[in-house]
Parts: sequence; C-alpha cells; structure tokens
Amino acid sequence: MGKEREQQLLPGRDRHLATRFSYGLTPELARDVRRAGGAEAWFEKQITKPHKVADGAAERLRGWWPDLDRSPADLWQRQVQEVRGGWEVMADYGRWLLVRRMTTRRQVHEKMTEFWEALLHVPVSGDGQFTWRADYGDTIRKHALGRFDELLQATTTHPAMLIFLSGATSTKRAPNENLGRELLEIHTLGAGRYTEDDVKASARILTGWRVDLWKTWQLSYEPEDHWTGHVRVRDFSHANSSADGREVTRDYLHHLAHHPLTARRICERLATKFVRDDPPEALVRRLARTYLKNDTAIVPVLRELVASKEFKASAGRKLRDPSEDVVATYRALGIDVRRPASSASAANAVLWQAEAIGLSPHAWPRPDGSPVDDATWISPARMLASFEVHWSLAGGWWPDDDVRYRKPTRWVPPGKGVRFRDLVDDLSRELLHKPASKRLLETATRATGCRGKERITRDHELAEWKFPRLLAAILDSPDHYSC
Amino acid sequence: MSPRNDIASSSCGCPEYTSLALSRRALLGSAVLAGGVVALGDAQRGYAVTTASSTRSRLSSTGSVLVVLSLRGAADGLSLVVPHGDPVYYAARPRIAIPHTSLLVPDAMFGLHPALAPLVPLWDSGRLAAVHATGMPTPNRSHFAAMEAIEDAAPGSDERNGWLNRLLGQLPGTSPLQGTALGNQVPTSLFGSQPAFVVGEVDNADVAGADSDGRRVAALRHAWGGSARLGRAVRDALAGADGFAPVRAVPAGAPTPTPYPDSELGQAMSEVSRIVRANVGVDVVTVDQGDWDMHTDLGTVEWGGMRRNAEDLAASVAAFFSDLGAFGDRVTLVTISEFGRRVRENDDYGTDHGHGNVMLVAGAGVRGGRYYGSWPGLADTLDADLPVTTDYRSVLSEVVTRRFGVSTAQVFPGFAPAPVGVMA
Repeated sequence: MGKEREQQLLPGRDRHLATRFSYGLTPELARDVRRAGGAEAWFEKQITKPHKVADGAAERLRGWWPDLDRSPADLWQRQVQEVRGGWEVMADYGRWLLVRRMTTRRQVHEKMTEFWEALLHVPVSGDGQFTWRADYGDTIRKHALGRFDELLQATTTHPAMLIFLSGATSTKRAPNENLGRELLEIHTLGAGRYTEDDVKASARILTGWRVDLWKTWQLSYEPEDHWTGHVRVRDFSHANSSADGREVTRDYLHHLAHHPLTARRICERLATKFVRDDPPEALVRRLARTYLKNDTAIVPVLRELVASKEFKASAGRKLRDPSEDVVATYRALGIDVRRPASSASAANAVLWQAEAIGLSPHAWPRPDGSPVDDATWISPARMLASFEVHWSLAGGWWPDDDVRYRKPTRWVPPGKGVRFRDLVDDLSRELLHKPASKRLLETATRATGCRGKERITRDHELAEWKFPRLLAAILDSPDHYSC
Repeated sequence: MSPRNDIASSSCGCPEYTSLALSRRALLGSAVLAGGVVALGDAQRGYAVTTASSTRSRLSSTGSVLVVLSLRGAADGLSLVVPHGDPVYYAARPRIAIPHTSLLVPDAMFGLHPALAPLVPLWDSGRLAAVHATGMPTPNRSHFAAMEAIEDAAPGSDERNGWLNRLLGQLPGTSPLQGTALGNQVPTSLFGSQPAFVVGEVDNADVAGADSDGRRVAALRHAWGGSARLGRAVRDALAGADGFAPVRAVPAGAPTPTPYPDSELGQAMSEVSRIVRANVGVDVVTVDQGDWDMHTDLGTVEWGGMRRNAEDLAASVAAFFSDLGAFGDRVTLVTISEFGRRVRENDDYGTDHGHGNVMLVAGAGVRGGRYYGSWPGLADTLDADLPVTTDYRSVLSEVVTRRFGVSTAQVFPGFAPAPVGVMA
C-alpha cells in the first residue's frame, strides 16, 4: 500500500508548479503531468502548444449558457424587452468561467486568461458594457499567451473597454479623461508615473473611437471627433495632424506596451500573483528585462518566472483567492457538475459561492481589477465564508441540483474497512496531493473524535453520517487554502 | 440634558470620563471571572457589561460609536452640497448644475441636493452638518493611491497601519469586534496591528457546522495554531463569530416612516444598526457606498447617477438613525470620499478627477443644521478644482477627540488639527 501511494504523488517541485499554475492538483492533472514527463515538460507544452491539449469537455461548456454568444444588439433588445437582463447574462459569464476552470486541461492558458482579464479589467457589472463583455473575454483569451503589445491594442480599442471607461463617447470638445488616465495608471506605467498634462494628452489621443450606445452598439471611428494637434505623453510625442487618429492610437499603445515602466509593472503583478506579495526586486527586474528583450512576448517571461529560485522558494505559500478557493474545492472533492437546468443547478449556484467568499469572477467594482495579492483576501469574513462553502460541499448539501458528489464508500472499503489514520492519509493524498501531516491527523481526530488506530467500516458512524466533518477538516486546513 | 450632549460633554478629556473608561476596562476582567451581569450604568447608554458566556464580552469600550461611510469612486461634493452663492458654479456647469430653486435647507452660499430630502429632518433637528472644501492637502487623482493615502492618514510613514486601527489602539476595551468592517475585505483604514473584524451579513458571521460538542471549532483552532497571517485571521474569525452571537439575535429593524432602501448601502446600514443595537463592544464601523466615479451621466437634477446615488445615500442614512432610536445618541457618522471632482463639467454630463470635496457629519455630538468650512471661491478653467481649505484630518480629529476623548497625536501622527467647530 505504502509504495503504491508514493507513486501516486508527484515529487515536491512538480507538485508546486502544477498547483500554482492550475486551479487545483487533481489525480487527473497529476496523470497529465506524469505523461508529459514531469511538471516542467507539462508547463512547456501548456504555454507553447495549448491547442494541442485535447479539451473537448471544456469546449462544450460554452453551450450550457447560449446567451454568451448573442450579439450586443440582441442582448440589448432582450434587456429592453425584459426577456433577460444584462446582469443575468453576466452571471452566466462568471459561471462559465468557474466551471471552465474546474474542467479545462489547458490550465495554464486559463490561468493566464484570468490574469490579463483582471489587469485589463472591465467589470461584469455595468449598464452598457455587458453587451460586449463576453466578446472582450474571448479577445483576451486569444492573446493570453501571445504578446502584450498586441493584447493592449485589442483591449484598449475594444467596445467593452471604451464603454466602461467612457472612451466610447469622448470627443475633442471636452475629452473625457477616464480611459486616458486608467490606461496609464492601471494598464501600463503605474500610478505616479505621469503628470496631469500626460493624462490630458492621453485622453486627446484616444478621441475618435466611438460605440453606438443604446442602439446598434457597433464600434466605429469618427474622425470629426478626434482631437488633432501635437501630443506628448512622457517620452512619446506625435504630430497627430490627421483627423484619422487610429495610427496615433496604435503608435501610442505600442510605445506604452514597450515602456520599461510597463514592463516593471506587469512583471511585478505577475510575480505577485505567481510568487508572493511584495515580490523580490531582483526577480521583477529580471522578468522585466526578458519582457523587453522579447518584444513583450509573454511566454519567455513565464518560463523565466517558473525557473527562478524565488518561485521555487514560494511553494505552498500563496493564498487562493475566493474563486480559486471554490474551484479548487470542487476539483479536490471530484464533484461532477452537470449541464444546468435551473438557477439552483450547481453549475449556476457556484457563482454565489464565489461571491459569498468575497468575489465572483471579474465582479471587482473598480477599474484596478481583482487584486492578486494575498493580503486582500485575508480577513475574518473570508475565513468564515470559506468554512461555510467547504462545509456545504463536504456534506453535498448545497447546491444539490444537477450535480453528483462522491460518497464515503469511495474511501471506505467494504468489510474490515480502514484504520482512521490511513483513511486520513488517503484523503490527504487525494484532496491535497500530499501525505497527511501529524497536525492534519490530530486535526481530523479532534474534528471527528476518532482515534488513529480506530477501524472505520462502512457502518461506522463516521462513514454513515459524520464524514463531512472529516472532509471539512481537510478542506479547512492551511494546505487547501494555499497553492 | 439632551441625550446628544451628555456623552460629548463628558468626553472632552475631563478626569471623570477618563476614570470611567479605565474603571470599565478594569471591571471587565472581574466580570468575566464572576460571570453574570455587572451593571455599570444605564444599559441604554452601553455602560453594562453582560457576560452571556464565560468568554463573551459585551463591553462597549467608550460608549461612543463611529461609523465611517466611504463614498467610493470620488463623489462630486459640488452636486451634493451645492455652492449656489458662487456664480462660477453655474457658469462652469451649464447642464449639470442644480438649480438654486430646488436646493434644500439653503443658506446664502450652500444648499443640499434635492435628492437628499430624507436627511432634512436630521438637518433641522441639528444632527447633520456639512463641511465643505475638505480633503488631503495635496491633490492625488488616482482613486487607488488616494484611497490608500486618505485612509492611511500618515503621510511619510511606511507602516501599514490605517488611522482607524491606530484609533483602536488608543481606546480601552478588549472585544475582537472593536473595529468592524461591513464587506469582504479589511479596508486600509482598519488595517494594522489591532484586530479588525469583517462581516458581509450578520447572519453569516458564524462557523458553519459548529456543533454543541465544540469539535469543529477545536479542530479549526488546532489546524491554524501555527500559521502566522492566516492563522490570525482564523482566530479573529472564531473570536468574532463567538462575539457576534448577540448580534445575530437582534432582528433587523424596519424603521418608519423612512424604511431602508432596497440597495446594497441600505442593507449594509441595516446591518450596522443591528451591530450597534446588540451592544457588543464595537467602537468603529466602516461601510462603503460605491459607484461615485461619474465621468459620464452624472446627469441633471432630473436624471442620472448623482440623483440615484444621493437618494440612496440619504434614504440609507436617514433610515439608519431612525432605526437606532435611543442608540443614535451614541453614534456619529462621517462620510469620506477619496477626492472631489473638477469644477467644470465635461462633454458627457459628467466630471473628471478633482481635489476638494464635502464631508457630511451626522449624529451624536454634531452641531448640525449648518454648513462649515472656508469657501475658497471657484474658477472656471479646464483644470480648476475645488481647492482644499480644511484638511480632512481636522474634521476627523474633532470627531475623535470629542467622541472618544483621546488625543489625536497617535491617530494622525505629525498633524496639527485646526478647529472646525462641527462637533460639540
């Protein structure tokens, strides 16, 4: 038994990489990693050839929420005619993301899509932008392992972003500063790296992009709205003499994407997300250099990040955020989520679970996007809410429509059963992908009242009705909160 | 003696107040040891120590409660409290200005936005005031940097310690609930060495699956005993959930004639009221209202985001004080927004990021029914802000010293507050 168990677990370094760059290390993912020849080989395949990873189950999920593929005008009409509100469609978007994260075998691509979607943030709430929001996410998804300069072009001039940050109606008469400012502060250079004159010039450059709000929702470029004349933003300067300002927009965004301050800011955020809060300066500097040397290509930066000693030293120390917590819990428990038939179905209700812990996908209400640091998510409210979600999933009590939970018989063999300490170890290996520590065994003992040598059979009270206590004790341990 | 003034007059740092605070703190220990109930005064005013269980404290450490309501996204103070006596206001805002004929409780210079109508009874009864042209001494137009700076309130210091956390450090009392935030995250203002409890909904502030045998909580304590940052959050969560039992037992109020609006803020204020009325030793509560970043569609007096948000704000605050009843005599509410908006409107019925703003101060100890602050006069240029003539820390200092009887040297390090006059 002991040897067989050892073989099921990935070595520590592999466990770390596959955990940090996924939504939870399951036996299936461990098998993918082993088949690839180790976590590094798996990672390389994930970042360079994600399309080669068969992912039919995840692709089919989109069909569960058909409103996500309606056109902006159609979605708007349905809202006006009170067929279905925009907020409901956006709830579907969050659900799709959560279930996709549970399901996809392209875990790194999914993780990076989320990362960029949080940096280049357009909240899912909002009167107008919901019409374009799913398309916006799809746009980011295409570039998630590509080049940042191309990603930034695609997002800044996307209707969802233009609507959210008031670019869609900004004109030369009184340019709206919203998009011009947040582009500098959040998407590229960072706070305090520009002057108020830079903000005004940034806003002027971006005039001309237009979305036909409340009607067709089509994107257009209107030369008569574009502010012309010389512009300067820090070290970018342009004559901007043409009424068609699309070229100056392109040059400006290219300049910003390649700016050393942008490199720093993006790499600092990457290191915060995938290494730790307040990441070491030396690491950020190395990553920024790689980013600039590779023309803003993302893959070489990721490669350097996971090879770093800082990444290796951070194993098991990163806190899961609310959505990651929920998704990892579904994955750990092997919960089988089925096509939803009603709002009570697990595939739909999962959204409220993420919200209860603190945040559903991309619902952060401010332009700076969901935080990637740990500090934000360490609060008593979060802990209590995580306990609640873990408890209800451990028991399989809620959600209980269109979902299948595993039964204790999966872990408790018939007949003579299993010793309690071996049962805890089995569960630890499956749920946490590591052997049970002394502390975990003691925690499990306190939670259930069972002693280590006690024999657990299928008619033991633990198997019959106390099993959720044991599962929750494992899910509520520090090893499940971190990744 | 009016209920509004009794605590204020005894909280000016006079010896009687100090000894009362100390004796309450000292007595907590013996009360816990003895169990049962030790009455130290009028229970309505929070001077009762009740030990429902051997570990639970209901001590309200000072008798006063401060509610800090953050208007997130930078509210336009020039629309909330309109400087109708300044002709530049109407020149710079041809479409979004609020006509002076529709303003409420006007004086020669200012008037309230008509959507603030639910607040007029508080104003008329002298329990609501406005301080205009307030803010940080230097402009910071980044929402996020400004929020952090204004809530940290210790410029030049690298310590991550918010002003409310430093205030808690000055207050007597031992409750893990002394500083409580409504929401999901610890706000910058409460972040620091003192514990901060965070709660979204009162009824959820409980440990799911905790049985009477205590096994689940015992297991959690063991699991998290050694883990530094997270372990502290878990221990605060367990202590807070325990201390919150009396709050869960207090039903939500249904104040008339001003019910809570069916909004996030309305629901949050209803929860704050439960927390205050349960009397579990909460000194400071933070709560947020979002969606103030109105670059477009701030709108006019008839439509738009300003009207919608102002209505929500006024109805929520009015319902809150109505719901509090006699407890309202201990509660002071102050609004803060990270910065104000520019004087001139933009092309989209909105305004861009500016500097000076208005603060509303309501409830216990407020010398209300008046506008405070020094009006700097507006300018009608593309760049013009409302200049700041009153540092926001002067307003907060006055609230803190008058209500809690502490010195603000620790709360606002290196800052010398100027008198505002808004607090009795």
